[in-house]
Amino acid sequence: MTLDGDWVRNATSRMDLTPRIEGRLAYTTDQRHLPGLLHGAILRSAHAHARITGVDISRAREMPGVHAVVSAADVPGPNRFGIVIRDQPVFCDERVRYEGDSIAAVAADTPEQALAALDVIEVGYQPLPVVSDAALAEQQVALHNSHEEHGGSNLLARETLERGDLEDAFSRCTVIVEHHYQTPRQMHAFMETEGGVAIPDDNGGVLFRVGCQSGHRDAEQLADILGLAHDQVTVESTATGGAFGGKDELTVQPAAGLLALKTGRPVMIHLDRFESCRTGIKRHPVTVKMTTGCDAAGRLLAHKVEAVLDTGAYASLGPAVLENYLDHATAPLYRIEAYRVSGRLVYTNNGVCGAFRGFGGNQATFAVESQLDALAGKLGMEPSAFRQINLRSPGDAGSRDQTVRWTAPPAEVLAAAVASPLWRCHDAGTGRWLTGTGMAMGAQGNGLGDGLPDSGGGRISLSPAGHICVEFGFSDYGQNIVESIIQSVCNGVGCRETDVEVALGNSRGPDSGPTSASRSSVLVHGVLARILPGWMNLVRGHAAGLSGHPEDRLVFGPGGLYFNDHQVLSYRELAASVNLDELSASASQDFPVAPDAEQPVGRYLQLQIATVARVAVDRLTGRVRVTDLHHVTAAGRVIYPPGYLGQIEGAAVMGQGMALTEDMTTRDGCYLADNLDQYLIPTFHDAPVQRVDVLDSTPEDDPFPIRGVGELGIEAVAPAITAAIEMATGVRIRRLPVDPGDLLVGMAAQEQAL
Amino acid sequence: MSDHYQVPEMPAQENLSFKLNGETITRAAASAETLLDILRESGQITSARAGCRVGRCGACQVLLDGRAVPSCLVMAWQLPGHHVETVEGLGEDPDFLSVRDALASESALQCGYCTPGFAVSLVAGLRQHRQGSPVDLAESVAGNLCRCTGYGGLRRAIDQLSASCCPDEAVGRGPSLSEEPL
Amino acid sequence: MNNLVTERLAVRVMRPESPRQAVSFAKRFRAPYIAGGTWLQPACERDRQWPVQLVALNPDWPGFLGVQETDGGLIIGALTTLDELARHPLTSVYLPPLVGLLNRVAGPGVRNLGTVGGNLLAGGDLSALALALDAEVDVLAGKGTGGRPLVQWCLDRAAGDLLRSVTLPDCRDWRFFVEKLGYRERFSPTRATVACVHNGQQLRLAVCGEGGAGRLVVTEAMLRDQGVRELGDLATVIDSELEALGWQCTQLRLAVCRMLEFGLAEVSLEA
Repeated sequence: MTLDGDWVRNATSRMDLTPRIEGRLAYTTDQRHLPGLLHGAILRSAHAHARITGVDISRAREMPGVHAVVSAADVPGPNRFGIVIRDQPVFCDERVRYEGDSIAAVAADTPEQALAALDVIEVGYQPLPVVSDAALAEQQVALHNSHEEHGGSNLLARETLERGDLEDAFSRCTVIVEHHYQTPRQMHAFMETEGGVAIPDDNGGVLFRVGCQSGHRDAEQLADILGLAHDQVTVESTATGGAFGGKDELTVQPAAGLLALKTGRPVMIHLDRFESCRTGIKRHPVTVKMTTGCDAAGRLLAHKVEAVLDTGAYASLGPAVLENYLDHATAPLYRIEAYRVSGRLVYTNNGVCGAFRGFGGNQATFAVESQLDALAGKLGMEPSAFRQINLRSPGDAGSRDQTVRWTAPPAEVLAAAVASPLWRCHDAGTGRWLTGTGMAMGAQGNGLGDGLPDSGGGRISLSPAGHICVEFGFSDYGQNIVESIIQSVCNGVGCRETDVEVALGNSRGPDSGPTSASRSSVLVHGVLARILPGWMNLVRGHAAGLSGHPEDRLVFGPGGLYFNDHQVLSYRELAASVNLDELSASASQDFPVAPDAEQPVGRYLQLQIATVARVAVDRLTGRVRVTDLHHVTAAGRVIYPPGYLGQIEGAAVMGQGMALTEDMTTRDGCYLADNLDQYLIPTFHDAPVQRVDVLDSTPEDDPFPIRGVGELGIEAVAPAITAAIEMATGVRIRRLPVDPGDLLVGMAAQEQAL
Repeated sequence: MSDHYQVPEMPAQENLSFKLNGETITRAAASAETLLDILRESGQITSARAGCRVGRCGACQVLLDGRAVPSCLVMAWQLPGHHVETVEGLGEDPDFLSVRDALASESALQCGYCTPGFAVSLVAGLRQHRQGSPVDLAESVAGNLCRCTGYGGLRRAIDQLSASCCPDEAVGRGPSLSEEPL
Repeated sequence: MNNLVTERLAVRVMRPESPRQAVSFAKRFRAPYIAGGTWLQPACERDRQWPVQLVALNPDWPGFLGVQETDGGLIIGALTTLDELARHPLTSVYLPPLVGLLNRVAGPGVRNLGTVGGNLLAGGDLSALALALDAEVDVLAGKGTGGRPLVQWCLDRAAGDLLRSVTLPDCRDWRFFVEKLGYRERFSPTRATVACVHNGQQLRLAVCGEGGAGRLVVTEAMLRDQGVRELGDLATVIDSELEALGWQCTQLRLAVCRMLEFGLAEVSLEA
């Protein structure tokens, strides 16, 4: 089933997208009209690694327009934050560990005055040796000296997943391939840089409207930092201009909150792109050695992985990324007799890495899929035939012996990819452009992963204006979640789209957990399935009393309730007739995890994708154009076609960027790119033509028919592109982004060999 | 010779008069202040948005005398006598309405932050077409970055606009996936 | 002297009444000229350092704007925007491949602001083609006005020199190859732009980009003396000339060599 134009247009025609197009949607950084608004700015470190010998803010206080200057001494609560480990200072006072570290912040009447005041803050630094190479980090000076937390080393976490007798399995292999792979420090490059406002209330509390992904968690951390009771901090995550994991950590909130409390006025901080590049989290770069072997028939027997992930100066979600990397490095789609998959997560002075769409998984899949192609090549087999032999069947346990719910048999996903029209394109062997087609597969689980508490709730009610109001704690940063919720409610209730109002991301509303890990859609469906039947009974019962019609003959429909096909009460009339609190319902649920494993493995709801890529490589320069991407997805039912399609297409082009141009490289801990003229993401003309085919054989009564597809599209793009490049040129690239110069040299060597 | 010219007093501030969405704006501004900041400071214009401040993302794109330009690269001293249009002022413009409908029906947006900038670029493309210039609408958005969509919806919206507005112009590079190849 | 830089909002923009006054201001205040501002502003934003004064150029000054056909060739005003150049009817008559190249120079919004003069001064994508065409520049400086070869002016340009226009020879029957290698398809920094021009008798080659702009005179001389010889030999000559020009990256030189070889083959084909 191809997600094509008519399907998309039918669904969009019922949604109102015009406020976004007309620029009327209020983003967090749009709130310039707030009375008394001040502008904040943050002083960043001048060094990637240094001891701080002194911070003098006295001159800054006297600068024109300045209302407040804050530094470490002004933080009432713990001067620390972080989702997993609170190891990142709000303001550094002893040591800076990356060039984005904060030291002080200023609130002034204008942004220019705030910047001018930063210039006169005097900071004494005593530079320390910079830890810039992740491979050597464990032998170098420790960035964090607390022994309890990190054992006095730069090794933040290590983990090994094992299965079977690896040595024995390798001894029985006919073919073994061993390669090193490297993936880049990709930047999220959301279009709206980090920012928003902190607004003090009359009771000593603060309201935050800042682009974020987890209002409830942020509110908790912020209350601690600000020394406030938890109910004194409110987070409203209004429309956000992109996130992709990059706004999962706190960004400007602590500084804005402190300044707002100190001045008693709303304070806006909006990082410019230079500062965003310098301070924002990135994707973990991974270097890995993979050794993989199979028997003469092509059956995978043994797989060994040794990975090093560079988490940068602070932990952020690094430990969870490591875990997800390792899970994906076990090759979840394939049966492998024995593996030892191990990884080390190290601190360096290279910025900070954290959550990013794919979350370590796509880095691992790049290497795993490349290994499969290498083995197939050694055996002289088609890569698809090699995969066919090793793919799991729907009844099999997962790679970690957990129960898995697929939404289609992996073999069918592969078969659909093999049937792609791209394989039948003619490849010219001569001329300037060398063309080729390649494929890769990937699997991805929904949910936060192993051992992390994961649950979420929602609420439904009638608004005074007669809307069916649905509340969740998720943030809207452009993932079409509002449209998906509206569609789900319409499907469940039988109303029309304009009857539904969605309210998201208020920390005073229901806690749905973070907007990450492709978990929102699963939870929205689960929670609605729980609350809709009961809520509809409640409403019908009330309507029966009002209208005198029997409750069991009243039917929900467009605009109101119907009896014998005639509307007897509008939702507005209903709302006017009752204490609205009586007509509300809420519920929450735990995120579904594999029920029978000894310890919970968060890879129960599995999604699959196969991506077929077609490329053209310039014989003159090594430049690569991706002309087509054809995806086959198995990710449950499609609720809102434009959302599903857009998520796959968007993630795929992001993956293409990672494969071809994107890398925040560092020298001595400092980034070499600082804006979008140097860090190059794909333009319209770089983007390929794409097609998405959906396979879904989820049974009608499956309890989890809806899955989240926000990350799936990035999973297999990079290895599909490098496979296509190999098909076109004979050169296999194992370091991303593909360096056209390296490719050209490889191509020239191939020509010489002819 | 040259040293004898009198240098006029040149304050960094100057009084500007330019047209914004059809209305004359008169105000003081620093000579090198960006049009983007001038627009946003008023609080009235939110469609032009800072994305990079170096003219590389298109999120702040506006029309200057009918041509799409990044407003972060236009300075106050360049404004007098010129006409600036943002989507706030294009509500009744027939080209904008076709662009809006095409973007909406193809769901060519996700977070929406970049979308007004794309709309401005497309309106400029359609206007040039009306004036008789050959126009490839895909080229008109080459300076607009979108990080969410992968440009799929935009490609479909541009195909739709091109088919209805300039059916004779070549667009894109031809959808090899939508047709069976040879 | 220590006040040569300032912040954006303190920049003073001088509006001279004539080109001559502009030159005078520029010299007296050591102030840069500003036209489109598409090169200057990103650099200043990045460093948060601005010149104290800017000298604004006025496209209404005679000769600074537009494209004109004369007996001496095509005269392009320095303040002509890149977009105006791309759309001008004479461009497709004289320089058909330029329109395609211009699509890959910056983005459409920047091309509406950025000027031909600004691009040439910054060694932008137009440089390679202008050098290969033996373009002449009309430069106003303190001591007078005069035309001189672009290639020479690139070497001995003085602060305060004001470019009025650039003149290209009548190249209507010539054959061109011009191409840009960037990091991505559109709106990319230039890695290398190469130009090969054949005027019926003679081949001219030029490059601009990461290694700097220049004519490949040694390669041209070799081609003149010996014709297009064995490709391996040609590649060696181009490679060493690029290296001498300052192109350090061997991989990039390999790409430029291949682009030039390809371009030479294209323009050398008998019509």
